[in-house]
Formats: sequence, C-alpha cells, structure tokens
Amino acid sequence: MTAILSVKGAVKTFGAVEALRGVDLRIAPGEIHAVCGDNGAGKSTLIKLVSGVEQPDAGTIRLRGEPIAFASPHQALEAGIATIYQDLGLAPRMTIYQNIFMGSELERRLLGLKYLDKLAMREESRAWLDRLGIDVTSVDTPVENLSGGQRQAVAICRALRWNAEVIIMDEPTAALGVRETEHVLDLIRMLKQQGTTVVVVSHNMTHVAALADRATILRSGRTQTELSLDGVTPETLSRLILSGAAA
Amino acid sequence: MRRFVAAYGTALAGLAIFVFLLLVARNFATAANLLNVLKHTSFLAILSVGFTFALITAELDLSFAGLCSLAAVVTGGLVHGGTYWPLAVATGLAIGIAGGLLNGILVTRLKVPSLIATLGTASIATGLAFMITRGVAFVGRWDDEFLALARGKVAGIPTLTLFMAAVVGLGWLVTRHSRLGIHMIATGEAEEEARRAGVATRRMKVIGLTVSGAMAGVAAVLLVANLSSAAPQMAGDYLLNAIAAVLLGMTMFEPGRPNVAGSFTGALIIAMLANGLVLMGAPYYIQDIMLGVIVIGSVSVSASVLKKAAFSI
Repeated sequence: MTAILSVKGAVKTFGAVEALRGVDLRIAPGEIHAVCGDNGAGKSTLIKLVSGVEQPDAGTIRLRGEPIAFASPHQALEAGIATIYQDLGLAPRMTIYQNIFMGSELERRLLGLKYLDKLAMREESRAWLDRLGIDVTSVDTPVENLSGGQRQAVAICRALRWNAEVIIMDEPTAALGVRETEHVLDLIRMLKQQGTTVVVVSHNMTHVAALADRATILRSGRTQTELSLDGVTPETLSRLILSGAAA
Repeated sequence: MRRFVAAYGTALAGLAIFVFLLLVARNFATAANLLNVLKHTSFLAILSVGFTFALITAELDLSFAGLCSLAAVVTGGLVHGGTYWPLAVATGLAIGIAGGLLNGILVTRLKVPSLIATLGTASIATGLAFMITRGVAFVGRWDDEFLALARGKVAGIPTLTLFMAAVVGLGWLVTRHSRLGIHMIATGEAEEEARRAGVATRRMKVIGLTVSGAMAGVAAVLLVANLSSAAPQMAGDYLLNAIAAVLLGMTMFEPGRPNVAGSFTGALIIAMLANGLVLMGAPYYIQDIMLGVIVIGSVSVSASVLKKAAFSI
C-alpha cells in the first residue's frame, strides 16, 4: 500500500513540553482513518503538523510518497490537505455561499474590472451541498441559522472546493446532538464514497468503531498501535487507549 | 415582514420625517433650503463612508475629524500662501491618507487598539492644526478654480453632490461587489476564521483605516473650497455626526453590519433632521441631544432586535 499521507518519526517540543516524541502515521488513499488517544497523547499536535500550522522539529511528512514541508496552512491547503477544526472556521453572520468561498471567491471581468461572480458562487455552492445531500432553502442563509450538521457540511464544501484529497476533521461530532451526529457520520461516509480520504480525530470510540477503516492510537506522544478496525468493538478500542497494550 | 421592517424600517422612518418636514417646517421645502441640506449631507456622507470602511473591518476611527481639520488648514494655508492649487489639494489628500495609514500601522503592527490609536492621532492632528494656524483661521480671496471644486456645477448639478455620489457609489460597489469588500467584511465579522481561510486580515484593516483617512482628506479639500477659509477645528462637529450616521446606517439594509448605503441614508436623515430642527426653532443644543439618542438608540437596536429579526427565517 502506498500511503497518500504519511508521517515518520515526528518530534515536536513546545518549550519543556515534548508533545510528540516519535509519531508514525500512514493514511491509505480513500480510507477513513481515525486518530485516537487520551488527552495529551499528541493528537492535536500531530494534526497541526500535517495541516501546516506547526513545523516538526524532526521527522518527515510525505504526500503521495514525496517529502513535504508546509510553511503555512495555506500551503497545505494548496497541496490538497484541508483541515476542519472543531470550531469549523466559519463566519456565523455571513451566508452559506460567502463562507464556502471565503478566501477563494469567484470573479468575473467587466471592461477589465474584476467583480464578484455571486451567481456562479451561489450555483456552485448549491451543487456542492447537493452532492452532500444537504437541503437548505437558500444559500443566502447566514451560517448561524444552520444546524450543527449543516454547518459541518458548509465547512466540508469549502474543503472540497479546494480540491482537497485529504480532509482532516478534528472532533467532528463533539457538541452535537444524536441526530446531528448521525448526519455528520453520514457526511463522512459520503466523502469516502466519493473518493476523498478522511482523517478523523475523535474521543468517541463508538463513532470511531462505526466509521473508520483503520485507526492510529497515540500515547504520550508516540504511536502505540495502528490497527484495522474490522470487527473491533468500541470497548476494545477504549481498552487499547487506556491500557497501552499492543493489539 | 419582520425582515422587511428590519432592513428598511429606518429608511422608511427617514422618509416619513422628510414628508413631515415638507408639510410642517416653514421654508424647509424651498429649493434653496433643500440644496443646503444636500450640501451639508455631502460632507457628512463622504466622512461617513470613510468611517464605514474602518468599521467594516471592526476597527474604530476617532481621528477622521481631526485629520480632516489638519488637512483643511494645510490645504487652506497653501492656497492662501499662493501655492498652485492642485498641489495644495494633493497635499491635503496626502495628509488624510498618511494619517489613515499611520492608524493602520499602529493598529495592525504595534497592536494598539484602534480606539486608543485613533484617539491619539486625533489629538496630534488637532494640535498640529492649531500649530500651523497659530489658532486663527486662513481667510481670503482664493483662486476661483479651487473654489469651484465645491461651489461649481456640472450640467446643473452641484459639484459637491457629484463628489458625494462618486464616493458613495464607489464605496457601495467596492463593499458589495468586489473581493476586497467581501474580504473586509469577513475580517470584521470573523477575523481569525477569515485569516485561516486565506484573507489578508491585517491588510484589510490597514485599507479600512486608510480609506477613512483618505475620505477625511477629500472632505477637507471640499470644506475649505466651499467656505473659502480654513480653521483648526472646522471639522470637529463632523465626528459625532458621521459616527451617528454610520451607526444609524447599521439599522438599515444589512442590519447589524456597517454598510455604505445605510451610512449614506443615515447622513441624509441626520442632515435633514438638523436642518428641520433649526427651521422649527429648536435651540442648538437639541442637536447634541438628538445625536446622542441616535448613537445609543441605533447601537442598542441593531445589536439586538434588528439582527434577530433580520436573520430569523
């Protein structure tokens, strides 16, 4: 298997804190991969490295086998790795289409002057939402009026618009109700069906077991286990995270 | 219905006040007086559009009136001293732009909160204005071409009105239909999120504050040309008037968000009210009270009721 995204021997320290002490991660193309671990295990730091927010002190990150170094989140985005944080990064009072196109607006030219192509942005937003099976009355609705699941979908649409091959989602189901959670899990499965690789960081072992193909378990800044989740129960996963025993 | 009231309620109230003044206030409905209201609106609207640009990026500019006075005395002083007038005008505009740019750098690079930074530049500008004039005003018989900037007419339309239309029209186009505009709005609405999405938020704030300074320069040139004199505090009254116009504007069209169309309408309403109150014999201090009520009332309304009404579907 050639990994679409891989991390080898990643080390990252913040002052006296060794957040990562040698982490390996291998993401296969088209899979849903969960990154699990207790608080302080290094999940967030690992995500920050692959999304370009932080740079590793040691270790290599490879995208499709090529070593890469991202100086900024924008570079990671342009390389095809989009990260959706828990806060989703949306502007609540701006509309759905404005959020989907934030930072990458479509323009037209009139007599050499560029102006926003709102019609195209609305139509394209509608098409992206349709692809995810999201039904909203208007793409001119402010995001603050949407449900948690719909907001997640708007954030996903923005990532897809960047032609992201890998979408990293940080705790996508945290702070959501039961029905909204189901909705988001369905969205992630749909992304997989459409060929997008998804990396999910989650505390919720039930969701991880139900959703992911494989998981990487971190413990104290190291990769403890990487395992296929075929037939693995949430209880087994929890035990692995807590006990530190290898599978 | 609620959304309609939220978006257009204030503008309709303004229209009602206009009709009321037409019917009730003696001499309000004369051509000369309406032209006078329009003239007063021109200065106010130009400064209001500038302040709107700063506020859209969520930064305050309390210095535009001070910068306007400074630019005015420099422009007036140069014309008075016999400098070729286009050069004097360019200097006035440059002072406004430089002042705005300084505010932008203070806020984005040195991390001084805009409230404090612009309060400081306002005081510096006012001090410099007094220093240049030594406390008196420049008055004189100046170049007719220069005075025509504010007093002339093109195709029967006063130049002041044309300048205002250009500023308001351009401001509206930029904020509503350009990438720059939507990036400024995103900066004001959700700075951190916008930055992560690739919006150059610091640059947007610098541009917002610089536009505010530039409009102070434009207003300064027109004020001086209109009055044929320049005094160190000549734009002082515009500070609260323009802020009130913009805040009143936030109750219209895009409730809860500074917007150019709202600011223009707000300027029109405030200029009209000020004029109407004088004509109806109200004492001068009523205007201060009115501005205070508008400022507080607008913000409390746009912050709560209107926003909810506008965005509930």
